[in-house]
Amino acid sequence: MNRKPTTASSSNSLPTDNSKNNGDEKDKGDQMFECNICLDTAKDAVISMCGHLFCWPCLHQWLETRPNKKLCPVCKSGISKEKVIPLYGRGSTNQEDPRNKVPPRPSGQRAEAETGSGFGGFGFGDGSFQVSIGIGAFPFNLLVSAFNFTSHNPSDNQVENDRGPVISKIFLFLAFALVFWMIFGL
Amino acid sequence: MANIASQRIKREFKEVIRSEEVARCSIKVELLDDNYSQLKGEIAGPPDTPYEGGKFLLEIKVPETYPFNPPKVKFLTKVWHPNISSVTGAICLDILKDQWAAAMTLRTVLLSLQALMASPEPDDPQDAVVARQYKGFPEIFISTAEHWTNIYAGGSRKKEEYSKKIERLMGIGCNMDQALVALSGCNWDLDKAIEQIFG
Repeated sequence: MNRKPTTASSSNSLPTDNSKNNGDEKDKGDQMFECNICLDTAKDAVISMCGHLFCWPCLHQWLETRPNKKLCPVCKSGISKEKVIPLYGRGSTNQEDPRNKVPPRPSGQRAEAETGSGFGGFGFGDGSFQVSIGIGAFPFNLLVSAFNFTSHNPSDNQVENDRGPVISKIFLFLAFALVFWMIFGL
Repeated sequence: MANIASQRIKREFKEVIRSEEVARCSIKVELLDDNYSQLKGEIAGPPDTPYEGGKFLLEIKVPETYPFNPPKVKFLTKVWHPNISSVTGAICLDILKDQWAAAMTLRTVLLSLQALMASPEPDDPQDAVVARQYKGFPEIFISTAEHWTNIYAGGSRKKEEYSKKIERLMGIGCNMDQALVALSGCNWDLDKAIEQIFG
């Protein structure tokens, strides 16, 4: 990087012109994303729970250097591989890193968003009850309605009334058969 | 040297050069070779201490495993301080040993050394003789440290009495360093110092 050597912006530093001041500001912006170990712009960036930014290869090497005392290199709070968060910038997926001789950086952990709708009674008993009703009753109702549809003629009313109990018994039997099949077939 | 170490020293070097402390002439770093493994540091003696007005040179060796391991630092300028060997310049400071952290830099190390000079830790000494004097005879410690600063680091405070005693010892065949170490260690008791050297 071609950084201009600039003087520190303290009260007793030499007077600097505007272009140098701009350079300073740019430098400060870059520094915010510098790895705290190699001091370069963080590659394969990870961030600790205490908020400090590192290249994953750098942090990995630091943790390997003292496996018994894993402390944040900046603030010395406890740190571990499991507790660092990778930072994914836009369009920066898996670019080859020259120091990539270390295990891949830990991946991010995704948690499903909480929906907040009433999933309350999703117990075992409830669930099985709903399922048996649904499968048992659905074809039964469908066939009954189909039968009703075919016999819309008022003259067939008597026949329908006679056949009604028989058909309902057949469907009841079918329903029980289905239930038995479900219980013993599984 | 490993790439990461030299790259980092390069960056740190710039950081030190641009830092406020350099503007105040309080710390300084010089490169001694092209591969950034040997440096010379300089720190000003902190104000309101016996080291005030002195310039203390440091030898800084950067290991290949830097920054995962600390740089090796010792005083080239002789110092009278409980945590710095009056003979070798070796430093007893936790961050240069097990308390090192990879985010520390040349600048923070030099500032830490300045802080160590301002507040000694006599309970974790590098030089037991100095630490004993610091605890038992604080006034003698201060004047002795001032005298050392005057002789080796260019400080302005010294005691004529001490200078005369050193001259006496040099008159009977001691060199200056030997005389100063012996007298300082014996709380400026001339007879004890002579006994220590010739006994």
